[in-house]
Amino acid sequence: MTTHAPSSVIATSPAATAWSRWSRFRRWFAEAVRGQGLLHGTWSRSTGLLVATLALVAIALASLLIGNERLSLHEVHAAYFAYTGSDTDLIVLHLRVPRTLVGLAVGMALGIAGMLVQGVTRNPLGGPGILGINAGAALAAVVAISIFGATAVIGYVWFAFLGAALAAVVVYAVGSIGAGGASPVKLALAGAAVTAMLGSVTSAIILRDRASLDEYRFWVVGSLGGADTAMLGHALPFIALGVLLAVALTRPLNALAMGDDLARSLGVRLGIVRALGGVAVVLLAGTATAAAGPIGFVGLAVPHIARAIAGPDYRWILPWSAVLAPALLLAADILGRVIARPEELQVGIVTALVGAPVFIYLVRRKRLAGL
Amino acid sequence: MAVTVATRQGLRTASVAAITTLLVAGCAATDGNGGSDGGEQATETITSCGVEITTDEAPERVFAAYQPAIEMAYALGIEDRLVATAFINNEILEEYAGAHAGQPFYERVPSRETVLSYEPDFILTSAYRLYTEEGIGSRDGLAAIGVDTWLSAVACPDADGERMAELQSMDNVYSDLRQLGEIFDVRERADELIAEFSGTIERVEEAVAQANHEPTLAIARPDSDGFRVTGGLDFSTEIFEMAGGRNAFGDLDVSGPHTVSTEELIKRDPDYILVDTCCGPELTPSDAEEDVEAIMNDPALANLTAVSEGTVLEFGFPDRWAGVRAASTVESLAEMLHPDLVG
Repeated sequence: MTTHAPSSVIATSPAATAWSRWSRFRRWFAEAVRGQGLLHGTWSRSTGLLVATLALVAIALASLLIGNERLSLHEVHAAYFAYTGSDTDLIVLHLRVPRTLVGLAVGMALGIAGMLVQGVTRNPLGGPGILGINAGAALAAVVAISIFGATAVIGYVWFAFLGAALAAVVVYAVGSIGAGGASPVKLALAGAAVTAMLGSVTSAIILRDRASLDEYRFWVVGSLGGADTAMLGHALPFIALGVLLAVALTRPLNALAMGDDLARSLGVRLGIVRALGGVAVVLLAGTATAAAGPIGFVGLAVPHIARAIAGPDYRWILPWSAVLAPALLLAADILGRVIARPEELQVGIVTALVGAPVFIYLVRRKRLAGL
Repeated sequence: MAVTVATRQGLRTASVAAITTLLVAGCAATDGNGGSDGGEQATETITSCGVEITTDEAPERVFAAYQPAIEMAYALGIEDRLVATAFINNEILEEYAGAHAGQPFYERVPSRETVLSYEPDFILTSAYRLYTEEGIGSRDGLAAIGVDTWLSAVACPDADGERMAELQSMDNVYSDLRQLGEIFDVRERADELIAEFSGTIERVEEAVAQANHEPTLAIARPDSDGFRVTGGLDFSTEIFEMAGGRNAFGDLDVSGPHTVSTEELIKRDPDYILVDTCCGPELTPSDAEEDVEAIMNDPALANLTAVSEGTVLEFGFPDRWAGVRAASTVESLAEMLHPDLVG
């Protein structure tokens, strides 16, 4: 015992032991995030994905059961198989189920959109919220409603696409000005500035026109509270198209991650990949915003978590993002329903509260700055 | 003050008024300074939500903001003293359309500079918000440049700028009218209005006192997150009570429109859902038609009592406020809630 080095003597105190364990964990985690991910090999990644999917199913189920009134599994089952038109039947069929399904679709869209933004721009701070894409879609939808009188999602989703695309182009153009091109931090700064500007225009229109935009908070802070089946029906085809595009882009994105020159030499046509990636992002983020308002941080944080778990291969990041993003969004929505009962905290607020620390962590970690 | 009220409205209201006066400590008290006869030339000091107003002579250049205050001015017949008006939520009451047509009118509250460009000597409003930085600045600041400010006693704010439950009473509407009668030297007209309103309400209250049930009402408008309802600090809670009903969301301790989830509305299941529209000078209750249909056709709401009974109704946004509309709203709601007792 007496031969121990002084550092080991210190390490025997419980706090120091905990600290050294934590340091080791951090080193291991940081290594995993930078390198091949926490899970290695096809078998463990597939098994992990299965477990994550089961967790998503459990969260979706919780989203059906938890709310203003707690429901039982039996009541949810009865709404479909022993329908009597009771209050709980109606709540399950017309409120909880559409809300959960819209949450699944919107979460998946945001997660995959975030992955595409990060992959195409090779920017770890990329995400539809950070880069002003959600804010652009929200502003365009507000313009559609207040000026053109659009009422249904199907009416303003096209405007949301246009707004998302314009915002993306403007942010990328502004972020590319000056030496060094579109560096991650410059893009994030441009995104923050454009988001602030678009947000204040949205507020200005809303404040002037409360009559037609009673649901104005919705366009400032996203929410799943108004989800219904019709909305889901309008949104699904666009999201499905965006997901298909994203699946097709996973291999080119892997090549792109090795640098433009190497990607080109592997036969990847950069222009087409970037253009298709942009279209997919606009489809996914635009639809998600049209259906649920601007929701931040899900699209930013989830691809990073997926990368940390499954490594840098986009063929793995995509399914992991598609599972983890809706899980995070639904969990945030459930939290928003219970913490302020009988009122609800909009999911956009909850994701911002949860997501802001993740964002700060990402900004502080310089190693991540080159994807 | 309480004594004056006692002779006019009977003992029961007098005691309520006395308690209210004690609670709000002069928020709406009127002090005769030159003897109780209150002669034409006497100097009056009136306290409006804690701010003193000296009225040696009646104001001549008045800026009025928000519908209840504007309509109160028209009801008192002082439209010729107004220099400009701002913000109404729905079309002005028909009987005042003529008076209103001649006024410079702003759909939104204009900037402080615009208001001051009319060189007002008096500002009249029913919303505390006007005297904040969002509006045209504090009452102290306006007093410093020689502009007297008046605020409806119902809207006196607490320390957080919120409405106070104990001030939401018809007695404060009467005290508003009485104060404005003093300030603008139209006491008789004010007394006429008070007599008319209190007569209507006393008659209704007597009739509904025999009711054996108390239907619940909610003012609710569909919103993207659920429904915007009016809570306990809204004057509608008081109006519903006078009409023999109860605000289904009366326990929510909030003054403004407040969003609740659709599930919460289903849980509360009000007997009547009143749907209003806001805000624009041309809006009428019938503009709520689309929202009424949306509620009636929403499959999630099919089991609501109000939906199955067909008691989802269009409602005028300003009808529920502490002002000249309140008495007739109480009367028509009571006729609807208790047709066997009132009519």
